[in-house]
Amino acid sequence: MPALLGYGSPRVLAFVRAWSIDHADRAELRAIRAELRGLGASLTIVSDGGTWSFRPDDDAERTTAAVYPDHLEVPRDRDALFVLDADDHVRFSYDAGGSLAGTLGEALAAAGAAIAAKPRPTMYTRREWTLTCLVAGFALAVFPGCKPRARSRARAKEAHVPPPPSMTTTELDVNLRVNGEPRALRLDARASLLDTLRERLGLTGTKKGCDMGQCGACTVLVGGRRVLSCLTLAALADGQDVTTIEGLARGDQLHPLQQAFVAHDALQCGYCTPGQIMSAAGLLAEGHATTDDDLREQMSGNLCRCGAYPNIVAAIRSVKGGA
Amino acid sequence: MHPFTFVRAPDTDGAVSAASAGDAAFVAGGTNLVDLMRLGVMQPRRIVDVNGLPLADVEDAGGGIRIGALAKHTDVAYHALVRERFPLVADALLAGASPQLRNMASIGGNLLQRTRCPYFRDPGTPACNKRVPGSGCAAQAGYQRSHAVLGTSEHCIATHPSDLCVALAALDAIVHTRGPNGARAIAFGELHTLPADHPEREHVLAPGELVTHVELPAASARFAKASRYVKVRDRASFAFALASAAVALVMDGSVIKDARIALGGVATKPWRSHDAEQILVGHAADPALFARAANVALQPAHARNGNAFKVPLAQRTITRALILATGSSGSGGAP
Repeated sequence: MPALLGYGSPRVLAFVRAWSIDHADRAELRAIRAELRGLGASLTIVSDGGTWSFRPDDDAERTTAAVYPDHLEVPRDRDALFVLDADDHVRFSYDAGGSLAGTLGEALAAAGAAIAAKPRPTMYTRREWTLTCLVAGFALAVFPGCKPRARSRARAKEAHVPPPPSMTTTELDVNLRVNGEPRALRLDARASLLDTLRERLGLTGTKKGCDMGQCGACTVLVGGRRVLSCLTLAALADGQDVTTIEGLARGDQLHPLQQAFVAHDALQCGYCTPGQIMSAAGLLAEGHATTDDDLREQMSGNLCRCGAYPNIVAAIRSVKGGA
Repeated sequence: MHPFTFVRAPDTDGAVSAASAGDAAFVAGGTNLVDLMRLGVMQPRRIVDVNGLPLADVEDAGGGIRIGALAKHTDVAYHALVRERFPLVADALLAGASPQLRNMASIGGNLLQRTRCPYFRDPGTPACNKRVPGSGCAAQAGYQRSHAVLGTSEHCIATHPSDLCVALAALDAIVHTRGPNGARAIAFGELHTLPADHPEREHVLAPGELVTHVELPAASARFAKASRYVKVRDRASFAFALASAAVALVMDGSVIKDARIALGGVATKPWRSHDAEQILVGHAADPALFARAANVALQPAHARNGNAFKVPLAQRTITRALILATGSSGSGGAP
């Protein structure tokens, strides 16, 4: 999986001077993963030896750079941990006083407890954070494609070692209209539309199944047409209308397909359901399905491991008939 | 995913020059490229987005049609002119992938899609000559069910996965490109190369050479009344072919005046069988004749243990397609 630094809501940044994934013990990694799942967060560990990106359900990935707000007060001689929300507000900060190595799981648990107890940001007043880019080991190299602003210039000055060319990446501006709402985003070029929806915009209704275009769980409408968001680079959706399962209902009024899936018991575990419904919405708009065989053929891009297919077909048929 | 720089091409020349130097890849729909990049199989340093180029139209071209390389599969498959003049193309397109993928995938990208050989797609497999030239071919003594029996070499038996390309091979399509040395037109049969000693080479395009159009010549529109695409796979939909056949005929009563036969799912490139076509021309449509042509088509096959079933399967697929295209009785279908 790509490391989408700066993504996730919330995301956790841990500055741990002496830490390496090669020396971390399994129990600590398990604890980190469990706490991230609880928080629904991504974690970036910045250490002298490198930068690692964690997401709850993916393997940790070593990356070159961490992206964080330049107003973040990172202590130089002690370890610290910060939890940032989607707008980069600091929701929790923890100054370890010494080393965090070996106790990251506990620090994350404390973060979770503190956030649960104080649902509003209290550590800092709201500010417009400017994003700047600093590298592993606090300042080894400038993250390319990103211009450090005034406040970070002092640190950026130390950052004179360019990254190896093979790791060059770009960020770019991507404008989407998601469920009717304009979203101006600055994204890593590698970001999929799926990860952008789920981790940047917090729209977790769209599901990640296979992440390789074979299951249909990530189906959304782009420009009114059903596509697989896992294989869509967010950059390729620039300027487009994106509709996710969250955008289908009108207030409390479910979309007819949503009502039909409930009425026909067209799901068991429900994981594929948002993709099934979005795909069905695309199918109805296309208007190429007449018979049940057509429905089955034209829904073949959406797999259901529970085998709810007969009821899925019945649900779609009922809406098609009523349309 | 390996990092890359992302460039939006302002025009065709800009796209070509942005992709000519270094390790670059064009992206249109991205359905194959993004998948392979995420798997770590492809790691281009630069991605050139060509979606802004005006190459998405399907146009009348003097009785034939000209399809822009950026046209989506869905739009081509349901285009009235395509359905009227080249229904084989529409049928092949709708036999491939899923509706979501067909809404994303471009025609140009389809031509250059990479094989689904599981060893190619798994960087954990050390031996794949296509992925790492000179590393060997794990499929020669491994899983072979999805692999080719035609056009193989001791260095590669990976199948070309496209459905569309099978129809284009049958209909003598012409591929128009723009590259660092200007524009050129390539006969469809010349576009893809056999693996031979260099499985890493799959086509004759130069770095930075962009497919701009696919032309279906007016001369091939005469097959519209008697053509058929038959695809056999492990499930009824949304699966790659184990074997597929595109047949296109010109009939005079019950006599076959002209014939085209192409195969998919069984060959290392979209496979045209001129020898099988010759068996048919001048004879009355008849399942026994079809079976003879099918046998000739598979004459050059070199099957391995794991894919020997594909020889009779492909033969029966050809026979079936011919029966359907001519409206013959299906009673004598098995060769």
